[in-house]
Amino acid sequence: MDTVLAQAIINGLLLGGVYAAYSAGFSLIFGVMGVVNLAHGELIMLGAFTSYWLFAYFNLDPYLSAPVAMGLLFLFGYVVQKYIINRVIGQPHIMSYILTFGLHLMVANIAIKMWTQDFRSITTSYSGANAAIWGLNIPYARLVTFIVALFVTWGLWFFLMRTETGRAIRATAQDKEVARLMGVDIRNIYAITFGLGAAITGLSGSVMSPFVIISPEMGLEYTIIAFCVVVLGGMGYMPGALVGGLVLGVAQSLAATYLNAGVSVAITFIILFVMLIIRPRGLLGKGSVA
Amino acid sequence: MILKGFKVTLIVILVGLMSVGLAYGEQKTPWKIGVAVSLTGVFGKDGNLVKDAYTLWQETVNSQGGINGAPVELIFYDDKSDPATTAKLTEQLITNDKVDLLLGGFGSSQLFAASPVAEKYRYPLISGGASSNKLFERGFKYYFSTLGKATEEVRGCVDIFSAVSPKPKTAAIIGADILFTSLACDGYKKYCKENGIEVIHFELFPMALQDYNSLLMKVKNKKPDLLLVGSHLLVAMKTMKALKEVDFSPKGVAFSYGPTVPKFVEDLKGDANYVIAASEWTPNMPYSGKVFGTASDFNKLYLKRFNRRPDYVEAAAAGGAVAQQQVLQELGLKPPLKKEDRVKIMEALHRDKFETFYGKIQFGADGANEAHPPVAVQIQSEKLENVFPLEYAEAKILYPFKPWKER
Repeated sequence: MDTVLAQAIINGLLLGGVYAAYSAGFSLIFGVMGVVNLAHGELIMLGAFTSYWLFAYFNLDPYLSAPVAMGLLFLFGYVVQKYIINRVIGQPHIMSYILTFGLHLMVANIAIKMWTQDFRSITTSYSGANAAIWGLNIPYARLVTFIVALFVTWGLWFFLMRTETGRAIRATAQDKEVARLMGVDIRNIYAITFGLGAAITGLSGSVMSPFVIISPEMGLEYTIIAFCVVVLGGMGYMPGALVGGLVLGVAQSLAATYLNAGVSVAITFIILFVMLIIRPRGLLGKGSVA
Repeated sequence: MILKGFKVTLIVILVGLMSVGLAYGEQKTPWKIGVAVSLTGVFGKDGNLVKDAYTLWQETVNSQGGINGAPVELIFYDDKSDPATTAKLTEQLITNDKVDLLLGGFGSSQLFAASPVAEKYRYPLISGGASSNKLFERGFKYYFSTLGKATEEVRGCVDIFSAVSPKPKTAAIIGADILFTSLACDGYKKYCKENGIEVIHFELFPMALQDYNSLLMKVKNKKPDLLLVGSHLLVAMKTMKALKEVDFSPKGVAFSYGPTVPKFVEDLKGDANYVIAASEWTPNMPYSGKVFGTASDFNKLYLKRFNRRPDYVEAAAAGGAVAQQQVLQELGLKPPLKKEDRVKIMEALHRDKFETFYGKIQFGADGANEAHPPVAVQIQSEKLENVFPLEYAEAKILYPFKPWKER
């Protein structure tokens, strides 16, 4: 295998890891509640800003502030679900689109008022550091994000399969009426799920902060990619975000390397379009179609 | 009874104050100057810079006794970075607010929408924040720009490399696929040809591109001497992050816009060193004129008022306001202006040469500023240094770009 191809695949896998890390929460929230969270990118933005400010004021390393971002975003997600989104659960889907789109606008614009529209970036001593193994380039920060994506996918799976709350979440996802009869507090489970989804998304924003440009309006482009990744992997199927992310990442990287960067962006939407028509349940056929 | 007396006194005082206010207002009809500019949205950041520049000009002029004795009053409207709104607000300023004159906002698309309205009502419109070539190709008489054309703005970024040795032989040109940045790429191509530099890679990419690494890895494999990027701030910052991650260190790296914005150096820190950027103005240029004094005086005043150094776009905006002011003074006009006054102003703007802190301003028949030399700056030890044109250079260019692994 020639180096150019090997490098393109490595770039793609690392990019896919980034996609998977920030899409897992989107998939979880959709899988359990059927809510397409259009304010997803704002959760990434808030996670990234948490790390930015802790770095700017306390010189705290972004990897050390990641747990803080997780905690804050869990609280944010819990409150948002409990007091806002819970009101439209069970209503037609369009209601949750409108509501979360409103949230997207609100959060982004409040962030602009508070933090201005500046583009920001975190530069640490190891920023951009990379390994060169057999002539192949591997940036460390992306490798860490890739590992975080694997860990998040495994952690979510473990949580859903092996814990009491996880079982309650799965039960709610499968049939909320029966779950209610079994004594599950549906509203609380929804709030915990959204909190969890927000927490892992905030974590991804935080671990991405050393290599992305941070601004209040950064969210929307991430929401769009997360949507594509999750459709590709199967809506609501947890390991699907990982599979979808890696496939999309490699496809984009190959397109950018052998064709051009414009095609690499277009390919995202071509894949989305084709998938929705021929395989709406995702590559592995395990997603749910609402 | 006492209370009643107090009330009467209060009313008398209030009426007295109001009449004084009215009389004052009658005496000094201000110059009403309208600006439709992006204060929120994609160009919100840049639009606010332009607003600051005009505000400083207004405060300075008013502290010097106004223009021909009348103070300046600015009316700002936010177009939310939407060109259709810019056009609507420009019309509103003219027909509703009945402003005497206009000043331009920020962004080629915005000015592209505002200028036909200005042309229709015969209002001169000078901008310091738009430079796409298309703006000057419509045969308009009332549109003026203190910046050079987008393709010409990057000339300094390429010409500077003729002053280094060994001279670079090849270049890769990449840029975002929007009007301003793609024109900058066309400019790079043109000046590379003039300087005998072979362009071995040329690629435009969409703004939505998230993965800069694959693109730059591909360019790295072609081993160009120079990397020339058609950019604005966000693209420039993303490119820098990716360059370091893929360990790509060409001998020279230049951007059309971005590195002159203070945030670029503040956040990228030492990683920003050796980067070259196009500029139109720096505070050390040997320029001077009325209102603001020298380029350095303007810089100091700006620093005092806003606690930051002005970018060249802010200087260009204030420069345009000064040129318009000089025409009003030359013609001895007073507000409110009549239609025929504005025709005279337009003619004078085409005819006159202006000496200002921003440099010489001379508008060509198409409205572009022809008197301005392109400038290139380089970030050295986390500070912007003017490196081109050579006769005004503060520092010698550092060449080649220091490889990432040796920093």
